[in-house]
Amino acid sequence: MDSHKEAQPKGDFECQLCGLTAPYSYYGQKPPNTHSVVLLEESYVMKDPFIPDKDKFLILGSQCSLCNRRVCVGTECSLFYSKRFCLPCVNENLREFPLEIRQDLEKRKSHSKSHPSKKADART
Amino acid sequence: MPSSEKERRAKRRSRDPSPSRGQQGGCWDWSCPEMRRRLEELYFREQDYIRAGSEDSRQFWAFFGRLQRFQTLKAKGEPAVWAPPARADPSAAPGLAGLPREYDPCYRINLSVLSGDVEGLARGRRGGPRQGPGVPAEQRSQFRAALLHYLDFAQKQSFAKLAKLQRERAALPIAQYRDRLLRAVAQNQVVVVAGDTGCGKSTQVPQYLLAAGYSHVACTQPRRIACISLAKRVGFESLHQYGAEVGYQIRFESTRSPATKIVFLTEGLLLRQVQREPALPGYQVLIADEVHERHLHSDFLLGVLRRLLPARPDLKLVLMSATINIRLFAGYFGGAPVVQVPGRLFPITVVYQPIPQEEALAASGKPERLDPRPYLRVLQAIDHKYPPEERGDLLVFLSGVAEISAVLEVAQAYATHTQRWVVLPLHSTLSIAEQDKVFDMPPPGVRKCIVSTNIAETSVTIDGVRFVLDSGKVKELSYDPQAKLQRLQEFWISRASAEQRKGRAGRTGPGVCYRLYAESDYDAFAPYPVPEIQRVALDALVLQMKSMGLGDPRTFPFLEPPPQSSLETAVRYLREQGALDRAESLTPIGSLLAQLPVDVVIGKMLVLGALFGLAEPVLTMAAALSVQSPFLRPTRTNPDCATARRPLESPHGDPLTLLNTFNEWVQVKSERAGSSRKWCRLRGLEEHRLYEAANLRHQFQVLLRDHGLLEPVQGPRDSYARQSRHRERRELHRLRQRHEETGGRTRKVLRLQEGEAGSSSDEGASGTGPSGVDIQDVKFKLRHNVDELQAASGTALSSHQFALLKLVLCRGLYPQLAVPDQYNSCRKDSDQIFHTKNKQGIVLHPTCVFASSPELLQATEEKAEPGRSRGSQEGLSSRHQLLAFVSLLETNKPYLVNCLRAPALQALLLFSRALDTSADCTRLVADSWLELCVPDSGAALRLLSTALQLRAAWEGLLNRQLEGRRGEPGHRPDPREVATLRQGLLEFLQQKVQYSLRRLTALEKQNCYVGPQTVAAAPGLPGLFQGAEMTPDEEKGGYRVAEFLTYNCLASETDLYSDCLRSFWTCPHCALYMPFTPMERMSHESSCRPRPQEAPLEEAAESSAKATALQRPYHCDACERDFLFTSTEILRHRKQHQ
Repeated sequence: MDSHKEAQPKGDFECQLCGLTAPYSYYGQKPPNTHSVVLLEESYVMKDPFIPDKDKFLILGSQCSLCNRRVCVGTECSLFYSKRFCLPCVNENLREFPLEIRQDLEKRKSHSKSHPSKKADART
Repeated sequence: MPSSEKERRAKRRSRDPSPSRGQQGGCWDWSCPEMRRRLEELYFREQDYIRAGSEDSRQFWAFFGRLQRFQTLKAKGEPAVWAPPARADPSAAPGLAGLPREYDPCYRINLSVLSGDVEGLARGRRGGPRQGPGVPAEQRSQFRAALLHYLDFAQKQSFAKLAKLQRERAALPIAQYRDRLLRAVAQNQVVVVAGDTGCGKSTQVPQYLLAAGYSHVACTQPRRIACISLAKRVGFESLHQYGAEVGYQIRFESTRSPATKIVFLTEGLLLRQVQREPALPGYQVLIADEVHERHLHSDFLLGVLRRLLPARPDLKLVLMSATINIRLFAGYFGGAPVVQVPGRLFPITVVYQPIPQEEALAASGKPERLDPRPYLRVLQAIDHKYPPEERGDLLVFLSGVAEISAVLEVAQAYATHTQRWVVLPLHSTLSIAEQDKVFDMPPPGVRKCIVSTNIAETSVTIDGVRFVLDSGKVKELSYDPQAKLQRLQEFWISRASAEQRKGRAGRTGPGVCYRLYAESDYDAFAPYPVPEIQRVALDALVLQMKSMGLGDPRTFPFLEPPPQSSLETAVRYLREQGALDRAESLTPIGSLLAQLPVDVVIGKMLVLGALFGLAEPVLTMAAALSVQSPFLRPTRTNPDCATARRPLESPHGDPLTLLNTFNEWVQVKSERAGSSRKWCRLRGLEEHRLYEAANLRHQFQVLLRDHGLLEPVQGPRDSYARQSRHRERRELHRLRQRHEETGGRTRKVLRLQEGEAGSSSDEGASGTGPSGVDIQDVKFKLRHNVDELQAASGTALSSHQFALLKLVLCRGLYPQLAVPDQYNSCRKDSDQIFHTKNKQGIVLHPTCVFASSPELLQATEEKAEPGRSRGSQEGLSSRHQLLAFVSLLETNKPYLVNCLRAPALQALLLFSRALDTSADCTRLVADSWLELCVPDSGAALRLLSTALQLRAAWEGLLNRQLEGRRGEPGHRPDPREVATLRQGLLEFLQQKVQYSLRRLTALEKQNCYVGPQTVAAAPGLPGLFQGAEMTPDEEKGGYRVAEFLTYNCLASETDLYSDCLRSFWTCPHCALYMPFTPMERMSHESSCRPRPQEAPLEEAAESSAKATALQRPYHCDACERDFLFTSTEILRHRKQHQ
C-alpha cells in the first residue's frame, strides 16, 4: 500500500443516464501500465478498486458515438457494438442493429420489468 | 453474474466454435501444461497485463476451461470457423453506417490485445536453437479470442460490483438525509445524527463530509475492532479513491499517514490526543459515533469537547447515536439540531414467554445454577414451527459464562439427538478461534444456535440470525467505592438493551424474538442502561482530568455526573498512591502515570522498576497484567494442560507466573518460529493475548524511554546485522502483503458436532493464510525486535533481583493487600479465606497459584513451638505472608485476582501509610487494621529505624529520578546511592524476627488510640528519629515522627507511662551504658551508627553522609569520651552528669 501516486483522480465521471459517479484517473485509449491492452474507444478509466494489483484498470464509460452523451458501460445505459451507443440511441435506431442485439435488448426489457430499475437514483 | 450476461455468452458460444476443435497442429491439447506454458510464454510475459503464474492467469485458465466446455456443448453441428471476422474499420463511416453487417460477439468487446510483437516472437522462436516447438497460428488466434473474452468478462464483473456498491449506498436510509445533514453541519457547530441499526450512518456520514470538501475528519468508536472494519469498509466504498486518505488508529496499530483525511480511532485515543494538544489542531470535523452506548470515555470525551468548542469555532462536531435519549445529547450541546434517520429493520414478532412460576420457584432452590429447560423449549418450538429448509439461526442472550455452559449442555444433547442444530458458545473469554466459529455456516437443513453474553448485543454482529432468545438478564460490573471492589452482578436489562437484542433478529429478514419474561416485566425495566461513568472506578479518569488541567473533577460539567462518592474515592485513592499531593495537584509521578494508559498501580510498578534496573521484567509483568489473562479457562478439567502449565507457575504469585509464561513464549517464538501456536495450545494459553501483551510492553517501553526512565535503544551494532535485519523485514513485509491480498479468514461450513469438546481439532483455525503462514507471527516479527526481546526475556533473574522485583511489585500494589485468615491452616485448600482492610471473607481466584498450593502462604515452620502460653505468644513466626493483589472481583463470591505474596512485617514497615506504635514499639498497627507484635523490643526498634531510613532514601531517589527525567544528567539518581538502597532493602528483607500478625477487631479499632493528650502531660522528648521534628498528633495522640509514623499513640491497658520509664541499656556500637526510654534508645541507635569499616562500602558512605548532616563530634569533659551527637543529644547527655 505504498504507491498511490500513479492513480491521481482527474475528475469525476458521471453517467448522464443513471447518475453513476466515480472518480476516473485516465481518459483515452491506452491506460497507463496496461502494456499490450488497448481500448477500442476513448474511455473513462479508473484503477480497478476491487483488485489489489495496482495495474488493473476498470472502464467506467465513454461517449455515445451518436449523441455524445457520457454514459457508463452498464448494460442498462449503453452497449458496445464496434462503437459505443447509449440505449436511447439504440432504441431509436433499432433496425440498424443485428438481430442478436435486438433480441438481447428485448430480453433485458422483459427482465427489468420484473426487477425494477436497479440502478435507481444515485443522488436525491 | 447477471443472467443477461450469461445469455449473451451462451449466444456468443453458439457462433463461436469450440477452440478445442481447431485441428491444425495435429496433436494440440489445450489442457496439456506444456502447451499452456508455451502460450503463457508468449502472452503472459513479465510486461503483459496478465503475468504467468499469477492469480490472474490461474483465473484465466479456469475461465478458458469453462469457455471450452460451453462452446463444445453449443457448437454441435455448426461449421468450424474460429478466426474472428475482419473487424470493421471504426473510421470508415460516421454514425451507424460502419456497423458490421455480420454479427459477431467479438464486436461487443471494447478492448483489444496488441499482438504485433507476439507474432514476431512466435515466428522467431521457431528458429531458436534451444526452444521447443511454438504455437500454431490457429491456436494463437483462438487463445487471443478467449483472452479478449476473459478481459471483457473481468471488466463486466468489476463494473457490476461497482454499480452494486453504489446502488446499495444510495439505498441506505441515510442517503435521503445527505443534503439535510450537510446543510446542518454547515450552519451549526454541533449536529446530532440519530439513527438506528442499519441506517448506514457510521459508513456514510464520514464519506458525505469528505465529498462535501471537509478534510481532517476524525470518527471515534467505542471499540477497536470497529475502527478497523469501518476504515476498511469506507476505503472500499469510496473505491479507494482516497487511498491512504482513509485510515484507522487504535492502540497498537495505525494506518494513518500525513495524507490521511479521515481517521477512525477509539475514544480513548482521541482523549490522549487532547491531553497532548488540548485544542486538537489537527482536526476540522470530529464525529463521535455510538455516543448512546455511554462508555466512560465517550461521556468524558463529550465533556472535554464541549469545553473545547468555544475555543475552536471552526471545529465541527457530529454526534451519532441510536435513537436513544437524543434530547440529553442535543441539550448538553445547547440545543444542537437533530437529524433523525429511520433504521432499516425487518419486522420482528415478539413472543413473551415468561418462565412459569412453579419452575421459577423450583429453580430458586439452587440460585447458582440456571434452569435450562425454558431455553430448550424454544429450540423445540422452532423445530416444530419452521421447516428446516427455511434458513435462519438462533441467538440466545444469557448473562454470563456459567449460564452459557448450563444451556450449552442441554442444547448440545438436544442437537446430537435431532441433528438439526449446531450449538456454539460466544463470550469474551473464549479463544479467538472459537469466537470466530460463530461466523461459519451450518450445513443445509441445520441451524446455528449461538449462546452468547451481551457481547453479541453490540460488539459482534452475526448475519443470518432470524430468532433471538432473550433471558432479559445481564451481568455488569458495578463498583463499590467504599470497598474499592468491582462487583459482577446480574441485573435485568434495560428496555433499550431489550430492543437492541430484539433487533438482532431483523437484520437480514423478518424475525422472531422470544423473551423469557412478561410484557409487564419489560415495562418495568429501566429505560436505559446505567452509564458506565456511574458504575466504575474513576481513578484513571480523575488522573487524566488532572493532567488535562480540567480543574476540580467535582465541579466538571459531565453529561450526567458520576456519584460524588466515586469521585471522592478516586481522589483519595490517587492521593494514597502518591499521584496527587495534599492540594490535589499532580505529583511528578502522577503526571507520568497520567500518560500511561494503564491502571495506576501498574504504572507505578513501571516507574519503580526502572529505578532498580528491573525495567525488563517489570515491563513484561505490567503488560501481561494489563491484558486479559492468557490462561484459558479449561472447558473441562484437562489434566494434560494443567501438567504442561506447572513449570510456568511461580510459587511467589501470579504476576511472576505471567512473567515466566511470557518469557518462555518469547523463547519458543525465537527458537522455533511458527511452533508457538502449538506450544500455547498445549498449555491452554490464548496466544492472541500474549501478542497483545507484547504490543503493550513495547508501548510502555517507548513511553518510559520518552520520559527518560529508560536508556535509549541501541541499534544493531554492525552493518552486517543491520543489513540482515533489513532483509528479514523485507521478506516479512512481503509475506504480510501476500496475506492481505489473498484475504483473511474465509467462512467455513460447520460440522454437526461442532462446539462439542474434542471436535475442534482442525489445525490452524485462525490466522493461517492459504500459504500456511502464521500471519500473527509475521506481524509480531515486523513489530518487535525479536532478538532484543529474546535477550530481555532470556536472562534469568538473580535471587537478589527477584527479591527486589517482588518488593517493587508490592510497593506498586500497595495498599491492595489481603491477610490470610488465622484459621486457614485448618481449612481445606479450596476454602482458604482472606481479608482486606474493608472486606472480609475473600477467596482466591481458581486460577491463582496459591489456590492450588495454599501451603505457600502459611507460616508453618514454627508450628512446633509451644503456642499455648496465651496472648501475644500465639502465632509467632518470622514468615507471615501477605497477599498483594491486582484487583478484587465479586461474582457469586468476592475473589482476589492476580496475587503476589510478600513478607508481612517488611512489607508493612516499608509501605504502610500509617504506622502507629506503642511506647516500647513492640506493638505496631499498620494502616489502622493490622497489628504486629514483636516481642523482642530491641529487634522491633532496630527494624523500625531501618525502615525509616530505607523509606526516606527510596523516596528521595524516586523523586530525583522523576524530576531528572527531563534529561538533565545532574538530576539523575546517583548509582551509588541506588546500590546502597538496594543493599539496604535486601538486608532488610533477610531480617528474621519473630512476630505475630492479626487483624484488629472492630472494637479494637475504635479504641486503638490514646487520643489527643495535653501537651504538658507529654515529656518534652527530643525530636529524634534522625532529627525529624516530633509533633504531638492531635488525633491519635502520641507523636508524629514522620509522615507515616506516629509514636506511642496506641492505647494499651498495661502501662500508660512506659514511654517515660527508663531502663539501663548498653549501646552495642559505642558501649554507652545508661538508662534510656525506648524513644531515646531508638534515637541514640539511629545516630550511633556502626563505624564505616564494618559496613559495606555504600552503606558507609550513606551513614557518614547522614552523620555530617545532623550530628557533630562532641567531646564530653565529664566522662572524657568522644561522641557523634546532635545538639539535643548533647543536651541530654549533659543532663546525665548533673
